Amino acid sequence: MRARWAWTLTVIILVGIMFSYTQDELRTTSVLSFSLRYAIPLIIAAMVGLVCERSGVINIGIEGQLLMSAFAGFFGAAATGSLIIGTLFGIGTGLIMGAVFATGAVAWKMDQIISGTIINIIATGLTSFFYAQGQVLPASTPVVAIPYLKDLPLVGPVLFNNGLFTYAAIIIVIFLQIMLFLTIWGLRTRAVGENPSAADTSGINVQRTRFINVTLAGGLAGVAGAYLSLEAAGTFERGFTAGRGFTALAIMIFGAWNPVGAFAAALFFGLTQGVASQLQADEVVDIPPQFINMLPYVLTIVLLAVVAGRVRPPAAVGKPYEKD
Amino acid sequence: MSSDGPAQTDLGFTDPNPTLGPKYGPVKAIAIPIVSVLLAFAVGGILIYFQGVNPFTAYRVLFESALGDSDGLLRVMQKSTPLIFTGLAVVVGLRVGLFNIGAQGQLTVAAIGAAWAGYHFDLPTVVHLTFALGFGMLCGAAWASIAGVLRAYRNVSEVITTIMLNSIAIALVDYLASRTFKEPDQPISRTPLISDSAALATFGVIPSGFVIALIVSLFFGWFLIRTTEGFRFNTVGLNPNAARYAGISVKRTIVLAMAVSGALAGMGGAVETMGVVGRFEPAFNAGLGFDGITIALLARANPIATIPAAILVGILRTGANSLQFETGIEPEVVDVILALTLLFVAAPIVSRYIFRINAKRKSKSKGRS
Amino acid sequence: MHRKLLVAGLTVAALVLAGCSSSDDAATDTTSAEATTEAAEETTEEAAEEEVTEESAPAVTMDDSDCAAPENYCIGLVTDTGKVDDKSFNQAAWEGTLLAADELGAFTKYVETVDPKDYLSNIEQFASKNYDTIVTVGFLMGEASVAAAAEFPGVNFIGVDQFQGETVPNLTGLIFAEDKAGYAAGYLAGLMTKTNKVGGVFGTDTVPPVLYFGEGYRNGIAASNPEADITIVYHEPNNAFNDPEWGAAEAKKQLTQGADVIFGGGGNTGNGALIEIAKAPDAGTSVFCIGVDVDQYNTVPQAQSCLLTSAEKKLVSGTSDLVLASFDGTFPGGNYVGSTGLAPYHDTEAAVPADVKIQVEEVIAGLDDGSIETGVVK
Repeated sequence: MRARWAWTLTVIILVGIMFSYTQDELRTTSVLSFSLRYAIPLIIAAMVGLVCERSGVINIGIEGQLLMSAFAGFFGAAATGSLIIGTLFGIGTGLIMGAVFATGAVAWKMDQIISGTIINIIATGLTSFFYAQGQVLPASTPVVAIPYLKDLPLVGPVLFNNGLFTYAAIIIVIFLQIMLFLTIWGLRTRAVGENPSAADTSGINVQRTRFINVTLAGGLAGVAGAYLSLEAAGTFERGFTAGRGFTALAIMIFGAWNPVGAFAAALFFGLTQGVASQLQADEVVDIPPQFINMLPYVLTIVLLAVVAGRVRPPAAVGKPYEKD
Repeated sequence: MSSDGPAQTDLGFTDPNPTLGPKYGPVKAIAIPIVSVLLAFAVGGILIYFQGVNPFTAYRVLFESALGDSDGLLRVMQKSTPLIFTGLAVVVGLRVGLFNIGAQGQLTVAAIGAAWAGYHFDLPTVVHLTFALGFGMLCGAAWASIAGVLRAYRNVSEVITTIMLNSIAIALVDYLASRTFKEPDQPISRTPLISDSAALATFGVIPSGFVIALIVSLFFGWFLIRTTEGFRFNTVGLNPNAARYAGISVKRTIVLAMAVSGALAGMGGAVETMGVVGRFEPAFNAGLGFDGITIALLARANPIATIPAAILVGILRTGANSLQFETGIEPEVVDVILALTLLFVAAPIVSRYIFRINAKRKSKSKGRS
Repeated sequence: MHRKLLVAGLTVAALVLAGCSSSDDAATDTTSAEATTEAAEETTEEAAEEEVTEESAPAVTMDDSDCAAPENYCIGLVTDTGKVDDKSFNQAAWEGTLLAADELGAFTKYVETVDPKDYLSNIEQFASKNYDTIVTVGFLMGEASVAAAAEFPGVNFIGVDQFQGETVPNLTGLIFAEDKAGYAAGYLAGLMTKTNKVGGVFGTDTVPPVLYFGEGYRNGIAASNPEADITIVYHEPNNAFNDPEWGAAEAKKQLTQGADVIFGGGGNTGNGALIEIAKAPDAGTSVFCIGVDVDQYNTVPQAQSCLLTSAEKKLVSGTSDLVLASFDGTFPGGNYVGSTGLAPYHDTEAAVPADVKIQVEEVIAGLDDGSIETGVVK
């Protein structure tokens, strides 16, 4: 049911893109590139939420994790003069934030929402308190065009002429899709998220699995944060993640807790943004931008309301695990 | 609302909700937040020290500017007022086992609703005040009810929906303030000023909104502990299955509680518009709903304890700029202190390592099933 | 003792900030805990130097303990809900204040507004300590400034970006003809483009100065190059000035569509666009960006390679002139139109043909004497 309309929508959009490509090559590829670019941090951040929720932990602290790792990535790169070290700083900070969150939400069995809220508030406070002006990245991140593939019509310039983080995001999505559904780790993770008691009985250490997964997901938030400050914006500003950690949750749900689904959802919302701003720029029609920005959230709520039951979170999400 | 509710002896100071962690006795329930606040101030003091300022001087400035004169007191009360409401909104949710992250959105929607009701109509004072306040509450309640209904009938997590509704609210009021309800002939995105008949007065240094907040919070102290409906709220929050066996309609209670929670946040937004800002202007309500979460947790879901918790936050926010004026410390230090307070009060750090409370939970209930 | 240290610290912070405008990214790291200890040593040194130079000056106000005394002069600044290091108008106004304070030997400090409901009380903090001149920054503070001016008739207020409908003797609105600066930038862009595609990425059009920059820019392009295809986008009002990633993505989109001159205007959002354009391989030779408000060659060093110019509101000199006027007793009241113009070409000097430079100068002169209209409705 859901799959059918999702496929229908996908086909309509693809046909629309093809048609638009025949009309105006440059506009089409640039709008699509914009969509991909808008989607990248959201995709990686959605993977953070996804890995956590699949393990039975709801993570609303993604926003704070992004902010902290973007901060560490940027100032790490600026201080050491190396983008690679900056990236490692970002990922490392993400891992630490993941571990902090896991300590509260898993080890201490605190309420997961409270733990996430604390992460957000602390990240906002610390990054704006310690923010310092006048730091500059040593270089801009390289754009890598993939030989041959980049010359393909339409997909070439959009998909195969990007920064490294963009490729990383696509690899992460495919990797997680495989890991979650085709490996022992995935089976265990999903078991812990759906039915921790049964998982426990069958010999899986629920607490350990959750702790490790939530921490590693923090590392992914580190990648997304580093992407934001090192590649996408090329700078760090106070609060500049602008709610992307929350949008990521919407995208995770819209993608039905499925990595490839979330990827598609993020691209879809990116496309709505790209098309709307193109329409504004071309002075065709000025759709109030507020409505475009609401779209992911409104659609997510509608989706949850309409297909509740068929699209649902892992059963044990939100509950600390207690041995009976 | 009869008063034949079950006799309870704890005055609500012990924790009714598994969300907040282990159950404490009344003494520890009061002591833990206080120790947490002190610890947060200590860590904040270290930060201040590293900025080259004597922390004791800094804190003296902070409290003196907030409590030292009538102007400071007025501002503390003005700043605490919406926080008491949003704190209460979160508290009511917690009692039913719901986490209302959406107080911010409910407050914002109500703030613009009350502004519209305030400037669009010309009514006698008492009627107008009631109408604007009521309309604001209605907006907040309606906004929260979306999440309540989805939770009750579709089992959709209220956390997710309220987060989404916050983002929608921001975009919606932005649109309304910049187009539909915009004050004409001036560039700023904001509504016209409300009429005098819809403005909440300030008596001396006491804003009437603050008085309303105190009354409402006392009312909920009574309501949640002494009334049947309050008993239903608590039972559903503690153990929905038991509540169902006891013949309580869990769905109805959830919808009602969420609507009440939204109405409270909405009252905060309406009072802010009618008593302090005088109109709706987007940036003016930033963060009030999120502070409510801190306050509710600091108050350990006790409605009356939201008063001191909100006043504390009000003092910090009032003193922040004087702190910068007198010592050069950036006002963001207040946010760091509040974050640390929340960390110490919510994480079992204080309870476990200072009060030696074992974190093992006895309650079999699964708060958010 | 602590007080002295504090004053020394503030003076140094001020110096560093001031130096920052010319020598770009000097360590303004006054917030980092680690750096503080390090900086402390320098502090004493520099403070010592400072004292020596200051002793030679006639009257130097070292703190604000007695601003009411006739020999002391105190200047306060209240920011909009932004920080004094925002690389934009708050920072420029503060630099102007420091400049004037330096010349007068005055004491100065700032307070950063967190909650817009505190505008008035933040201003009152300075006024009640008998500060002589108070600078309030940003058009959202307009009403608070008017109220404060009425409450404290003995204090002079400078409202940056605040248009005054009624003339009050102790309040001067420092306003700018943003449309003229935008027009000049657009005129230059229209002449510089090779692809005949010109772009712009702006903060929200609900904030008048941004709208005037944007629409002036649009009309300027049309004037110098009627053929040009103009693409201008505005961010939505929410978070309009702090979304560098959006700015970068929009700039990239316009670059892909062939735009070769793009105006990035709107706080960090616009800065994101500038930084993105600077990454283009042809940045500075055939692809250019234009900054806004201040000479962004200094404030956004990452964008130096592509930065053609900046559509400048001379906030620094405007603020400093008004503070000096307030000191001299020649405070105008009403509105004071600060000068606007284009910042130097810096690294792109060689890329701009001589005849283009001449034409742009003529247009700026025409805008100044009123012979050229920008066509922007205010």
